[in-house]
Amino acid sequence: MSSLTPDQIKTLEQSRQRLVQLTHSLGSLITSLNQSDPLPSWTSLQSQATIISNNLLTISDHLSDNRALLATLVAYPAPSYPARNPANTVALEQLLRTKLDPRVEDWVARGRKAGDTGPGQGHGLDDLAALAALWDWAPVEANLEARRRNWGGNFTLEERERGVGNVVTGLRRVLEDDDDDSESGSEEEEGEEESGDEEGEGEPDEMEVVGVRRKSGVAQGLEFDIAPAASGHAAPLTVVAPVVPLDEILRFMTVGIMPSQR
Amino acid sequence: MHELLLFASVPAHQHHELLQQLAGLTAMQPRHRLERRLVFKAYRKPGLVTTRVGASQDVQGADMQRLNKMLNGGMYYTQVVGPVTKADFGPTSSSAMSASHDADVSMSGTDQSSYCYDNQPWRLEFRDIPEAGTRSAVTTRLMASASLPKGDIAVPMNAWGYSFVTEYMVEGDVFVQNDIVIFLHRVLLYPQAESQDSHGPRQQLPAYHELTPLERTGSYVLQAAITVQDGSNQEMMKTASQHLFGLREQLKSAVRLEQADRLSLDTRAK
Amino acid sequence: MSDSFTLPLRPLLEKRERPDTLPQEIAQINAQYGSFRDVTEESLRAKIAEEKNKDPWAEEDEAEKPTAEVDTTERMDQLYKRRAEITQFAMQAHMEAQFAVDFVSLLLSKHAATARQAELSMSPYLKQVAPMGSLNAEIVNPPPKSEAALQDIKTVSRGWRIQNFNAAANKLLRSATRLETEVKSETKYWDEVLAVKNKGWKVCRLPRDRQALGVQYGFLEATPIFRDRGLAALRRADDGSLLLDKGLIPQKVRTVRVRVKTQGQSTGCSKVSWSLPDADSIEGRILQARDTVYEEELFHEMVREARIMGSQGVTTRQNLIQVPVSEEQEVLLDLVDVDQGEPADTEMLSNEHDTIADAVAHSVRILLAYAHRQNLRRRTQPPPPLTPKRRHVPEYQLLRPVMAYLQHTAHVRSLESFMGDIVGVLKSAGLRCGFTSAPFSSVRLPKVHASVPKVETLVKQFLMPFESTFTGNLLTPESSFCVKVRTNTVSPPSGTFYEITVNLPHHPEVKPPSRIGLQTEAAAALAHFMLLDIVTTISNKGAKSPEGTDAGKGVLSWEAAYAHHGELRALSSSGNNKKMKVSLSREELTVQTYPLRGADVSGRAEKGKSANPRHQSWRSDSSESRPSLMEFVEEVSQDRP
Repeated sequence: MSSLTPDQIKTLEQSRQRLVQLTHSLGSLITSLNQSDPLPSWTSLQSQATIISNNLLTISDHLSDNRALLATLVAYPAPSYPARNPANTVALEQLLRTKLDPRVEDWVARGRKAGDTGPGQGHGLDDLAALAALWDWAPVEANLEARRRNWGGNFTLEERERGVGNVVTGLRRVLEDDDDDSESGSEEEEGEEESGDEEGEGEPDEMEVVGVRRKSGVAQGLEFDIAPAASGHAAPLTVVAPVVPLDEILRFMTVGIMPSQR
Repeated sequence: MHELLLFASVPAHQHHELLQQLAGLTAMQPRHRLERRLVFKAYRKPGLVTTRVGASQDVQGADMQRLNKMLNGGMYYTQVVGPVTKADFGPTSSSAMSASHDADVSMSGTDQSSYCYDNQPWRLEFRDIPEAGTRSAVTTRLMASASLPKGDIAVPMNAWGYSFVTEYMVEGDVFVQNDIVIFLHRVLLYPQAESQDSHGPRQQLPAYHELTPLERTGSYVLQAAITVQDGSNQEMMKTASQHLFGLREQLKSAVRLEQADRLSLDTRAK
Repeated sequence: MSDSFTLPLRPLLEKRERPDTLPQEIAQINAQYGSFRDVTEESLRAKIAEEKNKDPWAEEDEAEKPTAEVDTTERMDQLYKRRAEITQFAMQAHMEAQFAVDFVSLLLSKHAATARQAELSMSPYLKQVAPMGSLNAEIVNPPPKSEAALQDIKTVSRGWRIQNFNAAANKLLRSATRLETEVKSETKYWDEVLAVKNKGWKVCRLPRDRQALGVQYGFLEATPIFRDRGLAALRRADDGSLLLDKGLIPQKVRTVRVRVKTQGQSTGCSKVSWSLPDADSIEGRILQARDTVYEEELFHEMVREARIMGSQGVTTRQNLIQVPVSEEQEVLLDLVDVDQGEPADTEMLSNEHDTIADAVAHSVRILLAYAHRQNLRRRTQPPPPLTPKRRHVPEYQLLRPVMAYLQHTAHVRSLESFMGDIVGVLKSAGLRCGFTSAPFSSVRLPKVHASVPKVETLVKQFLMPFESTFTGNLLTPESSFCVKVRTNTVSPPSGTFYEITVNLPHHPEVKPPSRIGLQTEAAAALAHFMLLDIVTTISNKGAKSPEGTDAGKGVLSWEAAYAHHGELRALSSSGNNKKMKVSLSREELTVQTYPLRGADVSGRAEKGKSANPRHQSWRSDSSESRPSLMEFVEEVSQDRP
């Protein structure tokens, strides 16, 4: 029997801090549950769950790391503890209780049952080295698999292999394919699209009259979607800002003074 | 009559897309418009002349009288506008153009355009300087227009006290959105003739491709206009500007419609 | 995936050599079921069956069971129940964690280095019941845990690990399956959207529901309430097929029905339902929606128009418009559900006028399309300056042109038949008289203007007043007549009017009334002119003889006395003065002669003289041969009593 060294106290203090964090996380979960009807947004619920789960993991890691100390540390009431008062005794019993809560007991029983029911099942899980190897392997492999696809492009790898020009997008504008160096594919597609338009519309130059809807009643309550400027042309024009300011143009139109003359 | 306006500058590369957007917004095909615009400047107070310019002229007397009354206050620049079509433009190159400009050359040119200056209809478009200090964020100005006699307009205009200043071509597309006329246009200049001495409107039009945009990057001006019959009716003026603001809001992500610089639209002749 | 890639997600099941566990099992059985004596086959079978159906983790998976049949209130209940559970768990956990914090804090409160921090994290309750530093701790060397206890911990942890891996694997696999079906239905949805677009429909984003696509099938030039209904959302069913979502608008397919009633009996009905080739396809439903919105707008506009046609006898009821066409015929228009619109056979007296009903139905639809075009034209013109006056949207011309056409036709037909009767009567009297009719002579196929589409100029013709002309020569040379029938229901004065012009050289003073509104009046006027002409013809016959009034050779000569009453007389030097009375109707021509006493021109007949009046009539339908009018006149012209 020996009293605690400062290092051991430090370990206990770390335990305390981690437990405090957990208590806080749980407390804020309860608050946010109470404050929202019926439930907080699932994103916040999920992030809170993640935080709690991380707290638990930290505690769990901490406990197993300091298993040697914590398994041999025994707490007992000091003589200064006012044990005569029954209320104090109850509180002390609560603190020093080692028996599991009935629900936890139940949980352990279920684990025991599952572990027992399949003799021979899941023994691979006991092989911690194999498990670690699996965990090392899996993220790399998943990443490799993911990298074989172009997630950001307009076309899938399969589509590109079959020829981008054959993809029916239904879009009037030509999608850029960053991986495709040759322009022939997209030009071809454009040609098809345009000939299709002419059949459908009669006049190739017609503007598409679509996407407009007036709110009934007030005339000015028209709703309309104008997409922010995106190059809709097959050959994007170079963006050149006007060199003559608007007021100079208007002045010329009004009194005929050439912009350069001022 | 009053006119309320908003303007925006539209870079050339945005022109096609904006046409599409306006077609969608107004649910109509654009109406192409080509106009000859002649700028005249008053050289004496117009009220001093009689409105009679010759019995044969088919001026709408009442219109002119009204205009005259309006113009009595001061001297103004005013515009004479004549609609033309692409077919009116000469197919010839500028050299042939200058040749036909020469009076000695007979008009034997076989591929002359059908343009006939004598049949050119004209409209007088008067605009006052925009009202100053209006708190609303639109350009507001007094306006009036009247039909003018066909053909050579310089003579009657001179008789009214106006001298020719310059002329240019306006090319663009018109859309109508309820009460608002949306005009997406640009100014085209005639090719510089070697002799600028013939001071008056052109009798012939050059080939269309010889016209050059005033704004050399080819940008356009978007003008949204709404006219109000009675400018003293505050209710109507308010409605009109609200309609314009509604349009500004709808086009917000495409262009920024704004009030014009007042002095750039100053029509007063000093 | 190009190459097959499989990753086992569930824990591997290793079939390991089983140790002999019989003693354990017997112990277990004893513990579970008591003595072997109580175990029967039945009870075991029942137990097995029960176990089979019961997953040990069933409680956990319960929540993920499909809850298709629960309604919203039940779902809400369930949600609140779960919420309470979560809260309860969280509070329990919070409490347990707080115990742990309290415990460690109390423990640490003994040590100076950590006492202050520890005090802060102690619960107020603990501070009350336990003084600081009242817990000691020492390192002891506890006896090692029994093998069984260690094994038990291992079992528990393995059990949970298996379960958790299983659960994770199941979730992943389920997600993969869900993703796959989602991709499939998404692909199907977009394929169908694309198919709709390829058919030429405008597909766009919904203005009010930016996440959804819509298809525009309506008419941009329709009245706003109908224009805004021309857009429906293209929603995705669970399996990815397209659903046309028109929002609150009922899904019914409706159409305008036209019926013709003659003398109160139904004699015609327009076709109500067209079977679409593929009514249940998305294309079919879009077409139905388009047709319905068009039909409803059509009916709405017709009711609006009918209200201003009250003076012309048009009546509207809630869902019925009645348009009188002629005295005995009327046209009924209503809006019906397509599947209930066909009238039962018992309602119909005949199908005689089905064609007219169909024609009317087509006409009003064409006219609405024309009105749309006019709207576009008006809308895209530079607007007039803003004034406080609202621009009135004029009622469309839908019923008025149709009504004008039918009315006009009725008038022309009736005049035609009247003229035909008269000509028939005259013919049977041996008189040659003919007429030609030019129905709808005002309708001319328009010259093509480049600025206006051909179809519009064509329709425009039918919005103008209708005019038909009848021309004919009368019996006397150079006499002729002309009747113009005009119908106008658009601008006042509305209705049908007759304009008759005659050229009677012998009666230059005769002027027909300028505007005749009634068909009977027009017929009477025409009959009157015919009568005058017959009178002239008879008197001319006498005048032909060169001898003048005294024709000699015993032949009398007739002259008109009261031409407008059809009266003639013949003076005889031998005293056989005679009077003739001619009357004409569409049924018959009658000529009567009476002897006149003396030479009194005024026609006062002298009494006493025995008379032998002659009488002859001609009808167009009688087949018996009789002398012609001229033969009869010749006969009665003999200078004898």
